[in-house]
Amino acid sequence: MASPATPATAPQPREKVLSLRGLELAFGDNRVLRGFDLDLYRGENVMVLGKSGSGKSVLIKCIVRLLMPTGGSIEVLGQDVLALGQEELDHLRVKVGFLFQSSALYDSMTVEENLRFPLRRHWLATSAGEADGLVEEMLGAVGLAHTRKLYPSELSGGMKRRIALARTLILKPEIVLYDEPTTGLDPITGKEIVELILKLQRTYGTSSIIISHDLHVARLAANRIALLHEGRKYAEGTYDEFRASQDPLIQKFFIFM
Amino acid sequence: MKGSSPRPFQVFLTEAGGFSLFVSRFFGNAFHRRFEWREFIRQSVQNGNGSLPLVAVTAFIMGLVLTVQSRPTLARFGAESMLPAMVAISMVREIVPVITALICAGKIASGMSAELGSMKVTEQIDAMEVSGTNPFRYLAVTRIWSTTLMVPLLVILADGIAIWASWVGMNMKEPVSWQLFQRQVFDSLALGDVLPALIKSIFFGFVVGAMGCFKGFTTAKGTEGVGRSAHNAVVYSSLLIFIIDLLAVQITDLMGLN
Repeated sequence: MASPATPATAPQPREKVLSLRGLELAFGDNRVLRGFDLDLYRGENVMVLGKSGSGKSVLIKCIVRLLMPTGGSIEVLGQDVLALGQEELDHLRVKVGFLFQSSALYDSMTVEENLRFPLRRHWLATSAGEADGLVEEMLGAVGLAHTRKLYPSELSGGMKRRIALARTLILKPEIVLYDEPTTGLDPITGKEIVELILKLQRTYGTSSIIISHDLHVARLAANRIALLHEGRKYAEGTYDEFRASQDPLIQKFFIFM
Repeated sequence: MKGSSPRPFQVFLTEAGGFSLFVSRFFGNAFHRRFEWREFIRQSVQNGNGSLPLVAVTAFIMGLVLTVQSRPTLARFGAESMLPAMVAISMVREIVPVITALICAGKIASGMSAELGSMKVTEQIDAMEVSGTNPFRYLAVTRIWSTTLMVPLLVILADGIAIWASWVGMNMKEPVSWQLFQRQVFDSLALGDVLPALIKSIFFGFVVGAMGCFKGFTTAKGTEGVGRSAHNAVVYSSLLIFIIDLLAVQITDLMGLN
């Protein structure tokens, strides 16, 4: 039996690539985030764990300013995200990949066009041949080179997630934000996706924040876990520390383990 | 007083305010140096080609029917010779621009709204945004410019087809030469008939694109919301077309062009 993938080891000394301080967000009277703090270091995988509806997805949408926080600060690669103008923000977003829970592939484009789209937008490939090479490289990396001419509607859920991952990584981001990367997939495909994330992380040297409620993902991929509860960071530690914890709230997450 | 406003009025104000902001956002992005030419051309070809058959058939039927139905009335007053002029003026000034715009509202605005609405609810617009592409510039600005260009072009084409259909209608009763018919048509049409009609069709095109994109970008509540947005895009853009037409008539009247 193949041994489970092990999380990448966090390098020393640690360079901070992302820092959240006192992050707050409210939708009307509903205060989703109430002063959340988090640091991410280069080459590290941090998993934000929390129940459904606890504000995990909202949190990473704030990082790329898809949602505007009502308070706190966000620093990404040394830049104050909340103070950036639109053009500067667009440049920063190229360095921060985002994998959506729904994959969010452009359904009117083929797989190849989906991958070419961000390249063309940012003139990252100077020639058609170079773009072709990058598309081929990324499709090869996710093991779906044969899907080039297919449309997203012709792919399975797991394949869509892999293509979305390839599209995210084609811009060679320094940080990748994963929103529930295994949700909706069967356990085998879910594990394959996590292993793929780890493999690509090693290849491209990315740092990641993984949003999930699944501790299997934490066991396989996370260097550190931050538990989001009632809008704040309730606890932080490694998988083993969480496993050994006697805290009733943390223990609830291990019910099905 | 809180809660005293009737709900439809609140909805109207919210929609009107949202649409005004959307339009001002369009003008803020419309002349950006990195214009999405490729997407603009793709949209223009798609919108123009897609609407052409329906617009052409409708224009042909309108020209033919108006001619056939007007003939007896004009004949009663011995004014049958005025038929080409009457049909041409009514078609060019009013009927063709409004009907073409309404067809485009039904076809283009609803299609745009459904397409963008689906992209919104499946996070495709968010995906575009986080990859550093401005989705408003890429999706909305190009679409609005394309309808602003294509609707007037479709109107010009439909004018020609309607006038030709009118000649066909006249020939159903008695033969009339195309040259004579054409001369009567062009003698009756002045710049004051053609220009205001073209100008208002530019506004019609803008409204079709802007409302289609606005309803698409503001779609919420899943697939049910997509259907509602498409429906509202048609209703609101049709309503705005009539309001613009009404204003255009008043303005041309004040300018002495009627």
